[in-house]
Amino acid sequence: MRGFADYNPIAAAVYFLAVTGIAMFCMDPVILALSLAGALVTFALLCGQGGRAHWYTLGLFLVMALINPLVSHNGVTVLFVMNHNPVTLEALLYGVAAAAMVVAVLYWFRCFSCIMTSDKLLYIFGGLSPRLALILSMTLRYVPLFGQQAKKVKQAQTALGLYKEDNLIDSFRGGMRVFSVMVTWALENGIITADSMTARGYGLGKRSRFRLFRWRAGDVLLLTGSLLLAGLALMGVHARAFTWYPAIAAAPMDALAIAGYGAYGVLTLLPAIIHAKEAIKWHCLISSM
Amino acid sequence: MIVIKNSRVRQMLRWVIPLLAIPALVALGAAVLPEKQHLLVSLGVAVLAVVLFLTGFEQKKTGARRMVIVSVMVALCIVGRMIPLFKPVTALTIIIAMYLGGEAGFLTGALAAVLSNFYFGQGPWTPFQMLAWGLIGLMAGYLAPLLKKSRALLLIFGVLAGAAYSMVMDVWTVLWYDGGFNPALYLTAVAAALPHTAVYALSNFAFLWFLARPFGEKLERVRVKYGV
Repeated sequence: MRGFADYNPIAAAVYFLAVTGIAMFCMDPVILALSLAGALVTFALLCGQGGRAHWYTLGLFLVMALINPLVSHNGVTVLFVMNHNPVTLEALLYGVAAAAMVVAVLYWFRCFSCIMTSDKLLYIFGGLSPRLALILSMTLRYVPLFGQQAKKVKQAQTALGLYKEDNLIDSFRGGMRVFSVMVTWALENGIITADSMTARGYGLGKRSRFRLFRWRAGDVLLLTGSLLLAGLALMGVHARAFTWYPAIAAAPMDALAIAGYGAYGVLTLLPAIIHAKEAIKWHCLISSM
Repeated sequence: MIVIKNSRVRQMLRWVIPLLAIPALVALGAAVLPEKQHLLVSLGVAVLAVVLFLTGFEQKKTGARRMVIVSVMVALCIVGRMIPLFKPVTALTIIIAMYLGGEAGFLTGALAAVLSNFYFGQGPWTPFQMLAWGLIGLMAGYLAPLLKKSRALLLIFGVLAGAAYSMVMDVWTVLWYDGGFNPALYLTAVAAALPHTAVYALSNFAFLWFLARPFGEKLERVRVKYGV
């Protein structure tokens, strides 16, 4: 079973770039609605329950939707006048659209974070610069290592009776001391690591790297598919030429616009389609056993 | 897949990006795109600037020790960011830039942004954060002799860098929301972010007050002990 998470990271990154890029740069209501719906479906499929994050996003949506009509007074349809400033229908609708865009992009990035784990980032950066990839992988290793070491230092300090946690100032000073010990230890440890690397010949030859992912037919398909669908969607948006100010206007829906919207709809659902395809395949395999 | 394997291509990128790509992008944004597309241009410039820096990094012969110290500092930034209400990234970036130079500062700031966002959430703001923190590091590197000499100057720089970071990120918020730069929205965003700006500035102040000297001593000690 090869879900969306198992595709080549470069293909997946291009997919996310295309789908979020269009949502960010095309303030077209149909595109935004499709993007928001697709992002929610993808999020539910790839990341599971969001929990409290959904409520936070809803609050963000409401605040952002309401701010625009209060500070922006463009537009021709005046709804009412507040503090000698007109509040317009266009600004209100634009605020809702902008808020939808922000929320959709947030959800796309949450999906991105679920899918693009640090090993995949390393794969992409490693292509850019092997040395940078080495720094990245060392850093990612240091984060949990420092956590463990901090715990050890803290236990030793507590056992020596050097600090208690029953008053705030003492615990702050203790915390600072643990941090200070940690920094010294981390720096010396780093130097020793570096010396050991040099002793083993780091930097003498060309750096090669370990590649966790290969290109398969599906990856190429995902890459070209994303780019083609994104191109079609951009053409459709361009043909529609939606404007918000001063009055809401758009070219009539022609075949190109419909094709563009359709393409973007398919693009947002690509992970869901891959998911469904694999589920059906799996179902067939089980039933044929 | 190695994207930039050839060192000559990398060399070329170092020249093409600042001299051709960034001006071309800005000119294109001004001339061709409708006026509300500042977002696209600024995002493109941020990404290009970071790429430019990274290609330059691969070119230089950086010793293993400097490299490991940078990754240690980045890891400390990430661990520090996990403590609530505690924003040590700017301060640590300034400190490392003071002692190891602007390039290490840029790298620490930029990498701390992208890597810590793995724990705090990536977003379209990541390239901006990388650029903002990176530039703070680069500037601290240029100003290093002054900052080392005077503690007051260092603290002022820290407060200004914290405030500037927050205000640059507000520019980004407005660009993202509105597509173009709307001064009224910007003022609203700055006002809404005022508590954050204050936290940034104050935590930089506190961090540099408490940590600049001990950190400097530690880095100095490592330098004396191991001869970095």
